[in-house]
Amino acid sequence: MDHLRIVVGFKVTPDYEALRAPDWARAAGGAAESGGGPGAPETRYVRRVLGVFDEAALELALRLRDARAEAGLETSLAAFSVAAREADPFLQTLQALGFERAARVDPRAALDFAPRVTAAVIATYLRRIGSPDVLLLGSRCGPGESGAVPFLVADELGLPCVTEVTDVQIASRGRLRVTFAAGGGWIRATIAPPCVLAVGNAVVSMLRVPTLKDRLAVRERSLDVLSSGELGVDAAAALAGEPTVLASLETIDRERAGTIVAGRTPEEKARALYETQLRARLERL
Amino acid sequence: MSARETLRVAAVLDGTAATAERQARALGAFLREGLRLGADVKLVAATHLFHADQSGRESLLELAPTTDVRLIRTPALRADLMTAALTAFEAGGGAELFVFPGGPLGTELAARLAARTGGSVMTDILDAELSGEGLACRRRVYSNHLVGLFELRSLPWCITLDAGWSDARPSAPNEHVVQTVAELHEDDSSASGPLKSVEVLDQPTTGDLEAAKLLVVAGRGAGSRDGVERVAAAAARLGAAFGATRPVVMNAWAPPDRQIGVSGARSAPAVCLTVGVSGAPAFLWGVERAGFIAAVDTDERAAITGEADAVVIDDGVAVIEALADIVASERP
Repeated sequence: MDHLRIVVGFKVTPDYEALRAPDWARAAGGAAESGGGPGAPETRYVRRVLGVFDEAALELALRLRDARAEAGLETSLAAFSVAAREADPFLQTLQALGFERAARVDPRAALDFAPRVTAAVIATYLRRIGSPDVLLLGSRCGPGESGAVPFLVADELGLPCVTEVTDVQIASRGRLRVTFAAGGGWIRATIAPPCVLAVGNAVVSMLRVPTLKDRLAVRERSLDVLSSGELGVDAAAALAGEPTVLASLETIDRERAGTIVAGRTPEEKARALYETQLRARLERL
Repeated sequence: MSARETLRVAAVLDGTAATAERQARALGAFLREGLRLGADVKLVAATHLFHADQSGRESLLELAPTTDVRLIRTPALRADLMTAALTAFEAGGGAELFVFPGGPLGTELAARLAARTGGSVMTDILDAELSGEGLACRRRVYSNHLVGLFELRSLPWCITLDAGWSDARPSAPNEHVVQTVAELHEDDSSASGPLKSVEVLDQPTTGDLEAAKLLVVAGRGAGSRDGVERVAAAAARLGAAFGATRPVVMNAWAPPDRQIGVSGARSAPAVCLTVGVSGAPAFLWGVERAGFIAAVDTDERAAITGEADAVVIDDGVAVIEALADIVASERP
């Protein structure tokens, strides 16, 4: 395939690891206080991050483009997010990294736990821009982490989908060589576009950082922003028909004794840990 | 609307995968202990057993967690054929609840089946209960910080099971009533399968982590690749399996097959020692069934300190090396 159109979909979430146990307890308690509707943690003051698997998908797309360029093959890269404005800084970074098209589809509704509606919006957007040769997505993303969205999108578009992808390489005759986890092991196979690849625990997991020069080169470029309504999808209305509904949230009790082991040096503390906590347990193994 | 008297369940077992036994354990345990029907509702369950060839058929049949078994012969890695077979079954009256083991194939089959039948999909279920006309399911959300209770409204309900179900004890052997319902071949699809030149890679597995009685886990607090390697060496001297958190693996300080947590292995050791692990819930999922957890970390405010049985506040690498010295000196 002389020219390959790669589109990457990604999601931006609050950094949930920045929240503390009381924040989560309030979220679950808020659900109870609201008399039925689910609560949600307060995240307005928490930084936003790329979904970990989405970040890997974006970097894999760039590496695939680079490998094809070395082989004399053309590639166009586009990225999109179904999101509110919080995705814009990430889209601008992707423009600086060479994504020729960076788009945001604003659903004007909270789709965190609505995989069917999310997939419908994504599939409709992709039909609008022309279905890509390769759609790269993260295999799952918070807070719902259902893992179903890539398959639901693939089904809407009539495409095969491989999930838990850890690597993508170019192969002969326009095919791609993908490595993925399945059936308790790893498999490598070739697949012919068009296809959906859902990225899992790729070793290449961190997105490269653009240079200041790269950023300045695209500073005048605008993002494509459209609402799901402009695509003909009323996401808020579709949510009412979503077949799965989050009803409430519960905390998870993981508390253990947390006994502090005393000592002045690492050696003393190791000895105290061994004598007071470990010796008998290790002897029973 | 009249009260429900039965619930028709299809338990889907992929006998083409090496994980068939674990899948069967999960399905059997969920049907026994994870699905609450109410006193007046009778479970009518059948196993849909996909298998690749005739030779291993009998041993696969022994795994089936229900009396009724529907055999479907299919080439391996053909989710498209499996989805089509299940969709056809559903169109013929099928089942109200489809239960798939956790994992990529289960997720694909559940999602595509729900999409094609207008049903509901929910993955990684902890448990489920009939609730009015719907199914109430619990699953972990927010990176394992919370559990969400979901209502599945549209039939069929297509669910996959949380990985924890595969650790359950096996079902008691069943007498089976077997029905061969389909022989799926390449020609059954409009196109041949999407994957070509398939190679099963010979790579290390996480089996030692899952079976470990003593486990040492290195986190980012180990500080460097050298620090992680020192923790791994200490683990070897202790006779422990060695695992690592996702940040450690993502930094390439440890190989991917060492990863513990939601996106890695799940272990249930008698004793778990964590070194420089902050205690993110996505990691804790991997060790929460440990009998005893001792955490070594420099940060006394780290989440792990509230989630461990014993806590040492100090340099983790130094402490685990000292501990390995002590244990070595105590051995006869």
